[in-house]
Amino acid sequence: MRATLSLIHREFSAYFFSPIAYVVIAVFLAVTGYLFALSVLQLTAPGPKGISYPMQLIVNDVAFWLVFLFIPPLLTMRLFAEERSSGTLEMLMTAPLRDWQIVFSKFVACYAFFVLMWLPTLLYLPVLLDWQWGTWRCGIDPWTVGATYLGLALAGAMFLSLGMFVSSLVKSQIVAALVALFLSLLFIVAGIWRPEMDASGTAYQVLFYVTVPLHFERNFSHGVVDTRQLILYSSVAFLCLFLTIRSLESRRWR
Amino acid sequence: MIHVSRLTKFYGDYPAVQDVSFDVPAGQIVGFLGPNGAGKSTTMRILAGYLTATSGQATIDGLDVLWDSVEVRRRIGYMPESCPLYQEMRVHEYLRFRAGIKGLHGGKRRQRIDFVLKRCWLEDVRRQLIGTLSKGYRQRVGLADALLASPPVLILDEPTAGLDPAQIRATRALIHELGREHTILLSTHILSEVEKTPCDRVIIIHEGRVAASGTLADLQEKASANACLIADFDGSIDEEALGGLPGLTDAASAKIDGGVRLRLHAGDLGSLTPRLCGLAAAQGWKIRQIRPERPTLEDLFVQITGRETA
Ligand SMILES: Nc1ncnc2c1ncn2[C@@H]1O[C@H](COP(=O)(O)OP(=O)(O)OP(=O)(O)O)[C@@H](O)[C@H]1O
Ligand SMILES: [Mg+2]
Repeated sequence: MRATLSLIHREFSAYFFSPIAYVVIAVFLAVTGYLFALSVLQLTAPGPKGISYPMQLIVNDVAFWLVFLFIPPLLTMRLFAEERSSGTLEMLMTAPLRDWQIVFSKFVACYAFFVLMWLPTLLYLPVLLDWQWGTWRCGIDPWTVGATYLGLALAGAMFLSLGMFVSSLVKSQIVAALVALFLSLLFIVAGIWRPEMDASGTAYQVLFYVTVPLHFERNFSHGVVDTRQLILYSSVAFLCLFLTIRSLESRRWR
Repeated sequence: MIHVSRLTKFYGDYPAVQDVSFDVPAGQIVGFLGPNGAGKSTTMRILAGYLTATSGQATIDGLDVLWDSVEVRRRIGYMPESCPLYQEMRVHEYLRFRAGIKGLHGGKRRQRIDFVLKRCWLEDVRRQLIGTLSKGYRQRVGLADALLASPPVLILDEPTAGLDPAQIRATRALIHELGREHTILLSTHILSEVEKTPCDRVIIIHEGRVAASGTLADLQEKASANACLIADFDGSIDEEALGGLPGLTDAASAKIDGGVRLRLHAGDLGSLTPRLCGLAAAQGWKIRQIRPERPTLEDLFVQITGRETA
């Protein structure tokens, strides 16, 4: 257990050695900060221009999903690809650790960085939710925000584990990032491209089932938690973690 | 301590290691010698649990490297060939991390880190970034890492490659010292290395197979089994007369500048020289020189590996 903690600690601090991490945080905070500011304005705007749910504007925005699409591959590309190309994987894989411990630690470290990135956005919430210091209550139903954060947490886990799996397959960080980006795009593209479709047709049903932005637009931001989506996110995440362990194991057989 | 039997490793359909068997008894230092591409690193990686053998079995301390991989890795200090390290960490941070994943904590961890820093002459650079260290220092960090958990077995892949002569000497002395507490398997492709490192035994491996093994003295003896006497004469000689030499097993002659060179093999080279002198005097041959030729370990190595390596 303590060995795992040592590894998590090293993997997490490794993020702060690279400029990519700081760029990622800066871009992310700039985009979300702008969108939160806009949300506050629109929540108070009268008439048809306004929005009725606090997180609605953010998760409907194309810029947000572009950022959300790019960040996980940037965070996960180095996890295994860098170690493979520099040869340090040999050091790691000959230490007395089981393969799952290595995969688990790396995932936890990059997930922790993802969470860290989201932490500053909590500061916006009192404003967004119209927090009343006198009564200790929110002026707006906080559950819509809670559901959105829950969804984002699980969707993040899905994209991160997908990126980590890709990183365990290749030697080059760039290739790892590009392939992970392409795979993540499959889950996001329909939210950006927004095809004209009959919402009751089977094709749309299928598309809706796998398109993450639509889940947020229609469910999470309205405070609706649909277990089908939670299951999709967590099963893809677990599948990718499992495949990463397998891919690491198979490396020994080469 | 290390027991390897019929180990075979294929990369695709290229056999890097074939049917390799050897034993390393506890407390010995064994040198693994072979030319480039012989399969030394591959064998060591299998022992260290980084690769899985295609067939065959290897055990360390009675534990199978495949089935008890993690337990085996606990008992091994492994230093890979090019010593890959995290460039952006400082030496003491790196050792702290390695000690952590090897299961050392608290006071024990601090104590072991201080110990290996001292042992591998790293105290001056403990706060330096690994990426800025010279190759020799990096090698020492790798060695320090291998020693961290004081494992009973050390597997060192070319521990002296890329070091300057003074460092090579210091590293050899360190290995000699470590040999008192650890069982050591070290590899090298430089012959003089094993002659100078205090190896108890040498295993020569070539094209994935064990070509020879034994103590240095054994191998030396094996090499000198091929010893012969070289005799140069002016003018020409009557080779028929050589038949009169007792004990002669083989003779070959070759023309040299203004004379003849004989290569004579015999069971007892020592007594051959005076007899040959007697024969030469009787026949009136003009002796230019007579000298024995004893093949060195290097000749054996070249003969085994079939090509001229430095
Ligand atoms: N990952 C790999 N894939 C395919 N072939 C490999 C791989 N690793 C090594 N080989 C081949 O296996 C053979 C043995 O390699 P190995 O690294 O064990 O040699 P070595 O004895 O350590 O040589 P050196 O003295 O150069 O370090 C070489 O011919 C090498 O080309
Ligand atoms: Mg090698």
